[in-house]
Amino acid sequence: MNRAVILRGILGAVLLIGAWEFSVRFFALPQWILPPPSGILATAWSGRAALLPAAAMTAYEALSGYAIGAVLGVGLAMLLALAAPLRAVLLPMVVAVNSIPVAAYAPLALLWFGTGALSKIIMVAFIVGFTVFLNALDGLTRVDPAAIALLRSFGAGRLRLLWTLRLPAALPSIATGLRISTVRAMIVTLVTEMLGSQLGLGWTIFQAVLLIDFLQVWAAILVASIISLLFFGVVSAIERRVVFWR
Amino acid sequence: MTATKLSISGVGKNFGAVRALDRVDLDIAPGEFVTLIGPSGCGKSTLFNMLAGLLEPDAGGTILLDGKPGKLLGRTAFMPQRDLLLPWRNVLDNALLPCEIEGLPRAETRARAEKMAVDFGLRGFEKHFPQQLSGGMRQRVALMRTFMFERDLMLLDEPFGALDALTRSMMQRWLLDIWARYRRTIIFITHDIDEAIFLADRVVVMSARPGRIKLDRRIELPRPRDAHLLTAPEFTAIKRELLDAVEEESLKSFSA
Amino acid sequence: MLRAALPILLLFALWEAAVVGLAIDPFYLPSIRVVAAAMQAQSGFYLDAYLVTLAEAALGFAMGGLVGVASALLFTRLPMVKDMVLPIFIVSQTVPVIAFGAIVVLWFGNTLMAKAAIAFYLTFFPVTINTLAGIAAVDARQVALLRSFGAGQGAVMRKLLLPAALPRIFTALRLSASLALAGAIVGEWFGATRGVGAMLLAAMFNEQIVSLWASILVAAAVGGTLFAAVALAERAMVFWREEL
Ligand SMILES: Nc1ncnc2c1ncn2[C@@H]1O[C@H](COP(=O)(O)OP(=O)(O)OP(=O)(O)O)[C@@H](O)[C@H]1O
Ligand SMILES: [Mg+2]
Repeated sequence: MNRAVILRGILGAVLLIGAWEFSVRFFALPQWILPPPSGILATAWSGRAALLPAAAMTAYEALSGYAIGAVLGVGLAMLLALAAPLRAVLLPMVVAVNSIPVAAYAPLALLWFGTGALSKIIMVAFIVGFTVFLNALDGLTRVDPAAIALLRSFGAGRLRLLWTLRLPAALPSIATGLRISTVRAMIVTLVTEMLGSQLGLGWTIFQAVLLIDFLQVWAAILVASIISLLFFGVVSAIERRVVFWR
Repeated sequence: MTATKLSISGVGKNFGAVRALDRVDLDIAPGEFVTLIGPSGCGKSTLFNMLAGLLEPDAGGTILLDGKPGKLLGRTAFMPQRDLLLPWRNVLDNALLPCEIEGLPRAETRARAEKMAVDFGLRGFEKHFPQQLSGGMRQRVALMRTFMFERDLMLLDEPFGALDALTRSMMQRWLLDIWARYRRTIIFITHDIDEAIFLADRVVVMSARPGRIKLDRRIELPRPRDAHLLTAPEFTAIKRELLDAVEEESLKSFSA
Repeated sequence: MLRAALPILLLFALWEAAVVGLAIDPFYLPSIRVVAAAMQAQSGFYLDAYLVTLAEAALGFAMGGLVGVASALLFTRLPMVKDMVLPIFIVSQTVPVIAFGAIVVLWFGNTLMAKAAIAFYLTFFPVTINTLAGIAAVDARQVALLRSFGAGQGAVMRKLLLPAALPRIFTALRLSASLALAGAIVGEWFGATRGVGAMLLAAMFNEQIVSLWASILVAAAVGGTLFAAVALAERAMVFWREEL
């Protein structure tokens, strides 16, 4: 990426925030319509004592669920990559279940696993697991048949093929799944927290809405976005290092 | 040692309703360099796939390697039409792939590969990745990978097909050099008659689909061979003879 | 049609077999027959929820798709603007957008528009980004070839860039279909009285597990409808396979 493009991007961001701040002040917009960026920052800073523990809780739930889901997703995909007949039966069912939005079974998770961290971790693991599983399986099964033939001509068996060819060939799609999953993990955590919890940014947002405290809502969104962006950035950076041949 | 390295008799292949390969009979002696030429789609790659054990011949055909029947998978060194280098492995690791699959001791094969890389003109590029190489180099890595898989019979499917004419003629001379040094039996598919004659002890011409052997011509030109051979009268005579056979089949494959 | 129904029937069969075979506590998983009976008993109620949520999600989804493609085409024509806006777009993709649901409901009140706006927001970004990626992936030599035939900007757009981006646009649409629905459902949590989201919330607070499962099935039906619509459109418009 060249410098001009980066500069334009920064310019765009500055313009957006400037225009936001300006129009809020100039038109004297009420807070429920749009609070100014400066006000959001000030609220986040002054409310940090309450926001930080909430943020820590949300990050903890999202990260643990993400780790569990990622391992399960890749593991299951590798298993199904070895078993073609099982895949033909299972995959359409997985796709069907996956088309139900998260929001629909979040209440179920709360009823089953309570309003603590466990229900959020399980929800995140479930969603991340699905996303990573589908991406990984796609990568594992869409390998050039000629490359498979070549390795077989060297005497490679199924496990050898999986380890030496399929898995590295699937890394780009696995990485894509892992990258998409970062944002989803945060969304699922927030959504489940909104429905029921004792601590967390989603809960903060829900409470603030009920109390009609708009600045607090925006402040919590800001903090959640920062976590989400960091998470996404770290995973993207790792992806670029691991999948260097892309 | 048996007198024939490879003995193919009555080998045919159907793909559903398509008769790709008719009945092929061919015997190849140890250390021989045989080039295989024929119109596109006549079943050359199909024959190779069967020799490599990736595909079963239809009933009635037999393939004997070293005079014995049996599983062929992993017994010939096969180089497919595309280089199929793995983008996440560097040059040396790509060349080491077959040894790794065989489970040979790593340090030993590595030392051997480092020595071989010099012969293959890859010195200094061992740590490069395929994306960083030219077409000719990629092909040399693919060839080196095939040589690292130490099997007496090598099956090379149009290894130089994608190269420009200059690089190609350099690679041909270089391959003959390597072959003289390593003494393996080679079957080499090509679409280029000059290449077929220049390299071979024997040129085998296949007919249009369904493929069968149309002509089996021994090439008694002296070795080592150099670029001047291409304009020698005895070369041109052989070329004319082969061209007639190949043209006839190519026309057939178009009108079919 | 049958191919799509088969896995669902199989899932239902597995569900029932698990309930009967493993004697699962109905608090966790009630029999599918009980759920079906409950849905039938209050079919008008569930049908209403299906239609309300479908309308919200579909309206926002369709608008998001159209505006997304349109703005991607606009950005292709105005690269300066694209460089300025795209980074913001990409960053905003990492914003847990559903959190905005609360604010949008504050803006629009408890109307159909509020939920549609959330669904719109969730569809718009992925479609824009994927369309841009699809256009960027077009071989510059192909563009040059068309220009050499005398094609203008508009013709290049219509005959090459847009069709080339279609497979990716549909990938984004398939992804956002369930996102749009999730947006509509979450939008309903903030005080709505009709729709799948409202039903889910009520069932959860009253711990009515049967109607909770019934609501999940309705949500699945809405999701399935959106998916089927996208799939049909895709089959009609992208009859060639994306070349790798
Ligand atoms: N797996 C397969 N299934 C069905 N048909 C096949 C298959 N493999 C090859 N064929 C058909 O068999 C015929 C011979 O194919 P083959 O690849 O062996 O030709 P070839 O002589 O190598 O051609 P070329 O010189 O173009 O590489 C072709 O008509 C091809 O379409
Ligand atoms: Mg071939």
